[in-house]
Amino acid sequence: MEKRMEMNHSEIGIAVNQKEIYRYLGYGANEPDSAVRMLVDEVLSELLAVIMPKHIYKFYECRTDDESVFMEHMQINSRNLSGNLSQCDTVVLLAATLGLEADKLLQRYEVVNMAKASIVQACAAACIEAYCNLIQENIRFEVQKKRGVPLFIRPRFSPGYGDLPLETQKDIFRELDCTKRIGLTLTQNLLMYPTKSVTAFIGLTQNPENCHIEKCKRCGKLDCAFRS
Amino acid sequence: MSFRDKIGKELLFFDGGMGTLLQERGLKAGEVPETWNMLHPEVIEQINREYLLAGCNVVSANTFGVNRFKCKDLAYSVDELVSAGVRIAKSAMETVRIKEGNAQQRMYCALDIGSLGKLLKPLGEISFGEAYDAFKEVVLAGDLAGADLVLIETVSDPYEIKAAVLAAKENSKLPIVVTMIFDESGKLLTGGDVESVTAMLEGLGVDAIGFNCGLGPEQMKRLLPQLTACCSLPIVINPNAGLPVVVNGQTMFTVEPDAFAKSIRTLVEMGASAVGGCCGTTPEHIRKVVEVCGDLKITPVTDKNRTVVSSYNHAVCFTKKPLIIGERINPTGKPKLKQALRDNNMEYIYKEGLTQEENGAHILDVNVGLPEIDEPVLMREAVTGIQAIIDLPLQIDTSDPVAMEEGLRYYNGKPMLNSVNGKKESMESVFPIAKKYGAVVVCLCLDEDGIPETVEGRLKVAQKIVDTAASYGIAKKNLVMDALVLTISTGQDNARVTLETLYKIRYEMGIHTVLGVSNISFGLPDRVKINTAFFTMAMNNGLSAGIVNPSSEPMMAAYYSFNALIGEDEQCMQYIEECARQNDKEKPQAGVERKKEAESGALSLHDAIVKGLSESAYQATIRLLDEKTDSLSIINEMLIPALDVVGKGFEEKKMFLPQLLMSADAAKASFEAIKETLSKQGKNSESKGKIVIATVKGDIHDIGKNIVKTLLENYGFEMIDLGKDVAPELILKTVQENDIKLVGLSALMTTTVVYMEETIQLLRENHAGCKVMVGGAVLTQEYADMIGADFYSKDAMGSVRYANGLHEKGEL
Repeated sequence: MEKRMEMNHSEIGIAVNQKEIYRYLGYGANEPDSAVRMLVDEVLSELLAVIMPKHIYKFYECRTDDESVFMEHMQINSRNLSGNLSQCDTVVLLAATLGLEADKLLQRYEVVNMAKASIVQACAAACIEAYCNLIQENIRFEVQKKRGVPLFIRPRFSPGYGDLPLETQKDIFRELDCTKRIGLTLTQNLLMYPTKSVTAFIGLTQNPENCHIEKCKRCGKLDCAFRS
Repeated sequence: MSFRDKIGKELLFFDGGMGTLLQERGLKAGEVPETWNMLHPEVIEQINREYLLAGCNVVSANTFGVNRFKCKDLAYSVDELVSAGVRIAKSAMETVRIKEGNAQQRMYCALDIGSLGKLLKPLGEISFGEAYDAFKEVVLAGDLAGADLVLIETVSDPYEIKAAVLAAKENSKLPIVVTMIFDESGKLLTGGDVESVTAMLEGLGVDAIGFNCGLGPEQMKRLLPQLTACCSLPIVINPNAGLPVVVNGQTMFTVEPDAFAKSIRTLVEMGASAVGGCCGTTPEHIRKVVEVCGDLKITPVTDKNRTVVSSYNHAVCFTKKPLIIGERINPTGKPKLKQALRDNNMEYIYKEGLTQEENGAHILDVNVGLPEIDEPVLMREAVTGIQAIIDLPLQIDTSDPVAMEEGLRYYNGKPMLNSVNGKKESMESVFPIAKKYGAVVVCLCLDEDGIPETVEGRLKVAQKIVDTAASYGIAKKNLVMDALVLTISTGQDNARVTLETLYKIRYEMGIHTVLGVSNISFGLPDRVKINTAFFTMAMNNGLSAGIVNPSSEPMMAAYYSFNALIGEDEQCMQYIEECARQNDKEKPQAGVERKKEAESGALSLHDAIVKGLSESAYQATIRLLDEKTDSLSIINEMLIPALDVVGKGFEEKKMFLPQLLMSADAAKASFEAIKETLSKQGKNSESKGKIVIATVKGDIHDIGKNIVKTLLENYGFEMIDLGKDVAPELILKTVQENDIKLVGLSALMTTTVVYMEETIQLLRENHAGCKVMVGGAVLTQEYADMIGADFYSKDAMGSVRYANGLHEKGEL
């Protein structure tokens, strides 16, 4: 199954987690002063005004064993992904991007105002997360309505997390036809242009355990500068 | 009859989808459709044949996805797959012609070219040249195998399309059709609109333009008027069988042949010259289309006669309302820009561009000509660099034909070109390249005999230029005449001659006009007074575009007033907005800064930097310099200690990245002030040593690297920034050529740290004798030790401390 839905910029703006932006800027638990808060607000509205967010997703039936995930015609060998999806019978492959304008705005500010550039970077990171959260919540709601049972979403899992190889990007790009549909491209080293983009596996489950969106608490890297 | 003779003369039919038909015949998910050219040629031929039997005229070879990037992992070469695809389609045509006895049916084989699946630089991965080479390979193979035309389809990046079109034109004589994938609002995924890509493609001289994929026929109906309004070429429309819907978990296109054909009929009536299908359409769809539309006559293709230039995302059309061409990126009479060009300081050029955009320019003139520099190289760098961050169309301004071609070739859109004149030599060198790249050319009304003194003399030269342009196939709409401005300080009649010439060119010859307005006052005091008066007079006499300084408030006031007065500014809104903007600007400082300043009075340089206030830092530095404070002591006793305070605060987690960078920007503003004063005294600021910095090969994340660069610059180091995705060899070469003692490398991904290691090894093996510091999200001290780095910097301040340490020890 394949779906697209349009989301307007103000929705993303509302969904953006301000604290997340500060965290990406290295504030940890600290609150920025008013000057920086004003700058963040200014940059965020500017960013929201220029981005052209696009996404594409498909549903797959899935099952897992210890080593692998089986999604219809695909087999993905990854213990970590398998663990993430072990409770799920359905998984969504998602690709989402803020589009080229976010990259452009970043380059522009790298020329004239480095402080703003760092804030564009943080805001764009928070925006793409917020955008993905909105999309997955819509998906969850839609499927839940259809099935008539409460559904929960597993933390998004992207190529490069844990033992899920970056090579998986190639499968996702092929499955979703990302370049044609949403203008996403893959470099030789399997990174994405436009850079403010996400590809992910999203498991749907009836088991609410460990289905919070925030990923920090699950991560073993306790000294991370960005840990919330 | 060739395709070129027929397109736009009679209704032609293209074929429909290939992918779904192959899946029905057993193509597995993940299998590359074009490999079937080798594995199951009979299946491909059958599909080609079915479309031809359905009545289509243009059959697409199964070559859409063949290119060196997508075929990297396949068992077949690009050459094999392309020629097999074309040969199969040709053989299907032959079968239909002979065995089926359809001798009358017009049949053409299209070499089908799709996107490379890569984003082009400056924002993406591959260079324009690499894209060109990849397309060239496909074109050569397809042409050799006997294709009748090139169909570039389902593409959505104008720059990539330009590479494909040039590859097709320069390596074959085949007709070119380009159909693009737009969303319902008429935007490409890269942000371009219908008008802007149409302008570019008409300029490049393709044979037909249109839409395919993405939308169904009904959505294309809503979009088609945008294209018919601006397009002077035949239009090709190949929609999907509706928007995708999901049935039993499968993506389907559900518009049935009858309904599809009915919609297509309307599209032909609306102005399409050729129609077919894309995803979800079948031979049956095409058979119905041929049946339903067979009796239709196409709307004659007319010249819309628009003078238009474009950037990657929008077009700028010459109309009754004059345009502003920003003149500031031109070294003539600008010592700072000259210095920036000599230093290859692109940032200065970009800032000039951004300021002009902000102040209302519609087009930017780009002139980087200086005797001592490599102008073609710099022109290319300036054009691509400016286009990476500024949306405005550019006017490539040079007298060097090589630089001219570089600028035009690497330009993304339909450019303006400054200039040609009535001299034989000028026209012979400029017109062929202007024609090739579809530039709108500025024509100066002078020739071998100089600038004619009379109106008649100038008009005669103008006419000569128009006639000669026509002999190169350049229409009047692609010429913009410069009536030439001579200062009134040397000839009382000069303004009158210009204005009369202007009027006649615009209203009697019917050609748009341009003037370098400010020349009028050369040699006079208070030039802006004359300039504004003359600018208004010129606009009133038919000036289409003024080459002016958009940052000059009086000139822009004259401009906005003129528009309001001639009824080209609805409810005077633009005029009112401009007044408001000017009033805002006149207040000393914006936003936060103004507030702080009001609270504390004029700030000391130290405080301005610590608080990160650029304007205050600049002003404080100017005050210090006015008081005759020595620039070195400003740097060493005020600027650096202030930066140290912030750096220390950052390390102690009392201050954070945005503050660190605001201070860095403030320090930069202070340096600007110092540099300006020094250069007035003919001196240069001192450097503490050169450092090469780069994001390693394979990695595309460079904000961290740029932050480090900014801070090191603050501390007086001269930075050579090689950018992102930098090959180890280039780093070594730069190190050797500049005798570099310190290299900074950044990597964000574990997968690219290997290239960091490779770079370090290469430097060591070649005894480059430099230290290497590394940083980036995934690095740790342990990792850094493992790959043999000299220093691991956990944050931007770490690199400053390390570089300063080396400097103090005299090792840098």
